[in-house]
Amino acid sequence: MARVRPVSDAVASPAWLDEIPLHRLVEPGIETSVPLPPGDRPLVEPGTAVLPGDLLLEHVRDRRVDEVDVRTPDGGRPLAGSRWAPVPGRRHRAEHLADGELLAPMPGKSSRWRLVTGEHRAQITSSVAGIVIEVRPGAMIRLRIDGLALRGAFAAGSSARGRLELATDPFGDLRPGGIDVGRTGSILVVGSRIDAEALTRARAMGVRGIVAASIAGKDLRDFQASERRQRAALHVPEPFGVLALDGAIKRSIATPVAALLERLAGHEVALLVDPPALVFDGSGIDLPTVAPDWVRVRSGPNIGAEGRVLGLVGLRRFSGGVHLEAARVELDGEPPIEMPLGDLERLG
Amino acid sequence: MSTRTQVFATVDRGTASTAVALIGRMGGRYRLLGSTGGPAGVPADALIERLRRSVAAADPELAEALGIGQAGIAPDLPRLVCSTARPPLLAVIAATERVVRPLAAIAETAGWQVRTLVLDGAEILKTAMDLSDRHVDAILAGASEPPGADERTLIGELGTLVAAATERRPDLVTVLAGGLAAPSGKTEALFRPDRPGPTVLAPSPTAHDGESLRSLLDSLRGGEDDGRRAIGAATGSLARVLRRRVEVLEIGQSGGSRTLASWQPGGSPSVHTATVARAALLPRPFAEADLDAVIGWLPISLDRLRTRDRLREMAIAPWGDAAGEGAILRMAAVRAATGRLLEMTPGFDVLPAPDLVVASGGAWLAAPATATALAIADVARRPGARAVGLDHARVLAPIGTIEDDEERARLLADLRDDLLVPLGTIVTAAGLRGTRTLGTLTVHGGGSPLEVELVPGGVELVDVPPGERATIELRFREPVDLGVRARHISLEVLGGLGGLVVDLRDVPLHLPERLEPRRELLASWQAAVWPGFDQ
Repeated sequence: MARVRPVSDAVASPAWLDEIPLHRLVEPGIETSVPLPPGDRPLVEPGTAVLPGDLLLEHVRDRRVDEVDVRTPDGGRPLAGSRWAPVPGRRHRAEHLADGELLAPMPGKSSRWRLVTGEHRAQITSSVAGIVIEVRPGAMIRLRIDGLALRGAFAAGSSARGRLELATDPFGDLRPGGIDVGRTGSILVVGSRIDAEALTRARAMGVRGIVAASIAGKDLRDFQASERRQRAALHVPEPFGVLALDGAIKRSIATPVAALLERLAGHEVALLVDPPALVFDGSGIDLPTVAPDWVRVRSGPNIGAEGRVLGLVGLRRFSGGVHLEAARVELDGEPPIEMPLGDLERLG
Repeated sequence: MSTRTQVFATVDRGTASTAVALIGRMGGRYRLLGSTGGPAGVPADALIERLRRSVAAADPELAEALGIGQAGIAPDLPRLVCSTARPPLLAVIAATERVVRPLAAIAETAGWQVRTLVLDGAEILKTAMDLSDRHVDAILAGASEPPGADERTLIGELGTLVAAATERRPDLVTVLAGGLAAPSGKTEALFRPDRPGPTVLAPSPTAHDGESLRSLLDSLRGGEDDGRRAIGAATGSLARVLRRRVEVLEIGQSGGSRTLASWQPGGSPSVHTATVARAALLPRPFAEADLDAVIGWLPISLDRLRTRDRLREMAIAPWGDAAGEGAILRMAAVRAATGRLLEMTPGFDVLPAPDLVVASGGAWLAAPATATALAIADVARRPGARAVGLDHARVLAPIGTIEDDEERARLLADLRDDLLVPLGTIVTAAGLRGTRTLGTLTVHGGGSPLEVELVPGGVELVDVPPGERATIELRFREPVDLGVRARHISLEVLGGLGGLVVDLRDVPLHLPERLEPRRELLASWQAAVWPGFDQ
């Protein structure tokens, strides 16, 4: 516990709760973007409504650059990012030419273009329902998502979809041995923390995603390195993502979030990487209510503890001789203590 | 805001925190009534209300006279607002490394996060992907003027690749510099005039020492209320009001800025300013070298993995974990960020040295004010004497948004006693030789003179309270560099919370390579100035 010395009197005000950072439990209508690098072919247009499993794009796995002569019917210059395909029936100098995306004209030759193409293509599907709001060949597809999003702190891997399952309680750790093929196709909630070994085992067992309160930086880096190796292989790996709800330092999942995840258990959800979030269809889900004075310790010595905020107490001197605005809080049923406002968060 | 406004608020919206201050008219001039801050997500009105409550509790009559005695007036108060945002990403591309380097160096001091691309020897596909990447906000493409022999064969390729990227991403702001902007270059004709993003022709990076290009790039990012640009304007006015050379070192969560303004009799102040994204408290991307830099300033034992995790938490919730070890970690990150800021703005070092150095930005407020003076002495190592102040209320940037220079200067003149917390004076000596004793320091203050032996490698702290002045005499056995080379020098110094700091450490500072002795040394210096410092 931080030792504190009062330097001003306590204040009671009906508006004071605004001074404690508010973290929204769920958000509607968030946007996500899917990378669309040169060569990948979008299969949707702006305004298209997509459902989970609908095709979004055709991804070229063995991207290469060819040169082609491009003639447009009107004799004009095509735009970079346009699709190009060999004219059917016409023999080409290089017979291996496949369709692709025009990258850029060769310098000084307006009809000679570089073409991004490839033989091995994979179809990428949407993990969420929503509306396509922008398609930028060579850059991205942007979607506005239908449904609600539980935002996380960071994510890695790729966006995925699956049935939500609770593997542990909100305080627990999931060890590698606790994951088997019975979890195939699921997105697992694993409590406070998961390590790199358990992550790679989960991926190998066909799990689609992992949700944890925290992931240590070392485990995240090890997992990302493993992901890169997987993606470099020629076979198409199944999508697998990992979502850290709070950060890198170990703590349990916040009670209201755990309550929401319990209600979502058995439902289809999507795990997004950009932005890091868990997306679900909110219809029929009774969202947990959070008392206005409910707080959680976001950082500092009591990280993860939950309780009630009793009032603001003004500036207080904390360890290290630092003066910070503080609140009096009752955590986990213990006697009230004073804590920096910045270490607290509300959910609402 | 009218000049007759009785009371108004300043709001500095940072990426990590929001700082607000109340300024009221008393006795015919404006005075700072108080300041406070909170996490970025907390509404400014809630913070203003907190401040109003404090003023009303401390002096109800004053609060009533200023019309802030009642709750709920915060939304109606006039206010000066500035904000800082995450730096946008600029892809800087040229034919060769020789050409791209100066372009990137200028862009890095104009507030952009920079991705450098060189065409020579690069894979065309990867370069094209990097240019049209969804995270890129603008492209700067440049060539020598006239193009050099090493780049002539690649100029055409450069133009077509950049033009192709703007066809995929028509919104991209594109800046053509140097040889690519020349009328004879024909590069501009490759870009479609009807696309939504502008194509801007820019001067060569060599013109006016790059200042023209830097200024143009700076104007292309951020909004009209950009806090870092505003600090430049405010620093110029402050130099004019104080009739001093003033340097502001600003460090925030999303970037840092360095501004040096010199007052000139009868003329407008000359202002040099640079905004550096890499000088953020935790720059993006955060490389191993950035982690090493933070660890290198840590006076406590914290293993590498844990340090990285705590810094990651700091990036997610920058307002949290601000006490105890968190404050120490934050000050190590501040030192590392300031080091990057100074390293990336070498042009400032050839300008005349400042009389006053001001620490500004939310990051500096992590430690007690007394420890801040030492942090500045640790990283801003320039021989000579300079006063040090702290923009404690973060009002400089909001005041910098006042467009009229006269009005801005009048307000700063009113606030000159409230604006900065005086941290004291730092005297840094360079070119020291000797192992035992270098000479003596005599301080003539209010009481009897105080004599201190000067020991090489150390920091001498003398208590000179805020508001007081003292005359010091430095007598060295050998001539040393104190801005001028001398053996005996007498100076008048200003007091402050940190008092007088006579810094006899190396310039630049050399610290032990091994972590343990390094930490012990850093801890011994910090323990002397940081009340409650716990190793």
